[in-house]
Amino acid sequence: MSAELANRAGDAVTLAKAAGADDVWASALQQRTVQFVYRDGALETVKDNTARTLAIQVYAAGRYSTSQTTDLRPDRLARFLTEAVATTRALEPDADRKITPAELFANRPDMDLDLVDSEVAKIERHRRLAWCEALDGAARNHPKMISATSRVSDGTLQAASASSNGFEHTHTSTSIGLSAFITLKDQGDKRAASGYWASGQHLDSLPSPEHIAGKALELTVARLGAQKGPTTTTTMVVDARVAGSLVRRLLAAGNANLIQQGRSYWTPFIDKEAFSKILTITDDPLIPRGLGSRLADSEGISSRVLPIVEEGSIRNVYVDTYYGRKTGMAPTTGSMSNVRVALGTKSLDELIAEAGNGIYVTGWIGGNADTTTGDYSLGLRGHLIEQGKVSAAVMEMNATGNLRTLFSQLVAVGNDPFPYSTVLAPSLTFADVDFSGA
Amino acid sequence: MPTNRRDFLTRSAAGSALVSMPAFLAGCSVTPARSPGSATPANPFLNWFGVDQAMLQQVLGELSANGADTAELYFQHNRTTRLRMEDSMVNSANTGIQQGVGLRVVVGDQTGFAFTEDLTLPAMLAAAHTAASIARSSGKAPPQAFDSQGMGELYTVRLPWSEVGINSKLPVLNRVDALARAADPTVEKVTVGWTDADERVLIATLDGRLIVDHRPMTRLSVFVTANRNSESRSGSANISAREDFDWYTPERIQEMVNLAVERTIVQFDAVRPPAGELPVVLAAGASGILLHEAIGHGMEADFNRKGTSIYSDMIDKKVAEPFVNIVDQGNLAGKRGSLNYDDEGNACGRTVLVEDGILRSYLHDTISARQYGLAATGSGRRQSYRFEPMPRMTCTFMENGPHTRPEIIASIDKGIIAETYTNGQVAIGAGDYTFYVKNGWLIEKGKITAPIRDVNIIGNGPESLRRITMVANDAEMDVGGWVCGKNGQRVPVSLGMPSVLVSKMTVGGENVG
Repeated sequence: MSAELANRAGDAVTLAKAAGADDVWASALQQRTVQFVYRDGALETVKDNTARTLAIQVYAAGRYSTSQTTDLRPDRLARFLTEAVATTRALEPDADRKITPAELFANRPDMDLDLVDSEVAKIERHRRLAWCEALDGAARNHPKMISATSRVSDGTLQAASASSNGFEHTHTSTSIGLSAFITLKDQGDKRAASGYWASGQHLDSLPSPEHIAGKALELTVARLGAQKGPTTTTTMVVDARVAGSLVRRLLAAGNANLIQQGRSYWTPFIDKEAFSKILTITDDPLIPRGLGSRLADSEGISSRVLPIVEEGSIRNVYVDTYYGRKTGMAPTTGSMSNVRVALGTKSLDELIAEAGNGIYVTGWIGGNADTTTGDYSLGLRGHLIEQGKVSAAVMEMNATGNLRTLFSQLVAVGNDPFPYSTVLAPSLTFADVDFSGA
Repeated sequence: MPTNRRDFLTRSAAGSALVSMPAFLAGCSVTPARSPGSATPANPFLNWFGVDQAMLQQVLGELSANGADTAELYFQHNRTTRLRMEDSMVNSANTGIQQGVGLRVVVGDQTGFAFTEDLTLPAMLAAAHTAASIARSSGKAPPQAFDSQGMGELYTVRLPWSEVGINSKLPVLNRVDALARAADPTVEKVTVGWTDADERVLIATLDGRLIVDHRPMTRLSVFVTANRNSESRSGSANISAREDFDWYTPERIQEMVNLAVERTIVQFDAVRPPAGELPVVLAAGASGILLHEAIGHGMEADFNRKGTSIYSDMIDKKVAEPFVNIVDQGNLAGKRGSLNYDDEGNACGRTVLVEDGILRSYLHDTISARQYGLAATGSGRRQSYRFEPMPRMTCTFMENGPHTRPEIIASIDKGIIAETYTNGQVAIGAGDYTFYVKNGWLIEKGKITAPIRDVNIIGNGPESLRRITMVANDAEMDVGGWVCGKNGQRVPVSLGMPSVLVSKMTVGGENVG
């Protein structure tokens, strides 16, 4: 199939060139996904899907456009490519839009990222059902049970890219994911609901279905009886499972597009100390079995390990070729791969004990952050920390402040990165956070 | 991951990732008005998708070969154009074509689903065979003939978006850019975003209905960054509708730009409100986000038939004061959330969620309607042929009440007005929901005293409904480009309401006392 996709991408380059393009970048993608959803003792949904897309970037007479289609009938595809070139020519010239220079895709790492498990392609119905039954059995194990939904998803992604200036690359990865989501009866009409999941490319990267459903039940039981927490300024310990989304919000301002558009609060701090000295963040596309691992990014830029924040100082931002030209910054990569937060030495229990009193955040709900100012306000749920221990469940609270200030007040980093995410963040402790509640 | 844990609503800003571009180059030679219904034959999309009734019968037969309560084929062709202007130049232009068929069979509350982007008979039969594997009983005969439903007339389309050339669209982007830059000397950067879509849908159902819908969609957005005394602030506005090019009048464009610039400039003087519980006035229009999050999702019947919603046991119970009336209506002409037919082929209509303070009806798709023994409410929607339908909102709003906005403001000693929003979210079971307020005002002793910005508000759905103590008579629908996410599927929605007072909500703030 990879050869067929490579041909499809190569043919698109040839056809678009013949239609008048100066340069062309084409990618062909095919993805099969099978999902079983099992609810309360019975199979509820079976989905078996194969998606396919052809995407092209056309450069013609100093102009640029992108297009994608799922209609791959030869006559339709030929028309699609011809129209893509004609449309490009109707736009205004943009001197900064150029095909990725060959030197940026030279020296692509030659290593096996171990993203394919041949066993995944062999998974059959009875095995998916057995996992569903195991998840369901372990999940529906509580007297207050209302409903439990378990999911098993597996699939294979194949992609091939080619360009008119010599880029050729194929990528294949398998995926397997298991999850359980549980609703328990709570006070009055309220339900306590939570879930847990694990995913990876390999079957042996995942814990057992019983472990996953057990974690889901443990997290749901912990929500029972939650009350609105207090309005206060105190220490915040963020669980590793949800620390990744906070790190993602922090990094959102670290890209050349926003810097060029005057919408990044990072701008004055590039190459300077911006955050706590215990914060080090690295973009690492070359982690074997990493969920965001890749040998080249979507522009073809060869992957390399990129320090983003080192001991609190901003070292690099995400720069694609276009905004690199506009800002004068050297291209790094336009998008995140795997993000590693350097680990501390303490366990979550030790972070909580050290905090003494505060709020332990186990989930975010809503909220936003402004990349121009760094100001944020986030809804959350979790627990009170009292005398160094996790105590009553809290909900309906907001944390509000500024992201740069918040990450300057990072006082401890855990040793427990959550593995089922592209952001590999451990539990984090922040001092003096403003909470609103009752 | 457990994707059904939270459901969210976002309002895309121009600055967000618009990967984009256009297609047909024909000029915008506007033709005389034609209603899609009058100018097209009974089943105009059969040829479009290269299928005929015999093929549909054969595929439906395969789909229901192991039993079926209901089954349908959902053909869709969607052509989108996206443009982005930065630094007064279009620097991103994208054309997308998405075409395929989603095949679904339902037995009880079990669903088998597959899609294929190859519309040949063998490929469709193979997909049908896969989807049919969910069922284990005797087959059901496909329809002997199809009854074609008439093309609906909710959208006025003089020229489909796929026939409007880029040379007609570019002047609109230039106009927005120029207006924003001229509006205030502090404006430094302007991003303009454009999206249009021309979507053809053909649904063939096991009970013999053949439904077609030709859906337009467009959205225009502007994102402004201003600089004053070396400090930057950003704000945005966007407008969206199922309308054609003529909808973009100079007045509508000017109004959008004015809003974006005002929302940006006012932030230079804005403060964070005090943290904690406060009375909150929800300004008319976009505050409909409260309804969407606090009650709308919880009233989607899939959650209720599973017992997982906080509203599962509340039908016919009092949930609010008698002057609170909340409706979801999918047949409002031209609105972003409207549809002639939902994505199961049922006509969209008006569903009263709360009547005189009493909880009345959930939003049903075919599965939940059968389970409750009720008629579907035309609420079965899906992101595309790649997804199965489920109960969703369309246009959700509150009707006028007996009070006035000045009365509401005057009644407050210390509180806030929430005016513009970026996003919201809800946890269906616990009922806690949030929305992010980009702009608003502080109220002290019955008067507006200062602008506020960037605060999240969090509450509990049923509690917030009970705490609606005043409803004004200034109801309006918001024209923003709202996108609702649920179970990994995104659909366009509309929302609106009059000015409302919620006596107590938890407001994110920095000034902890």
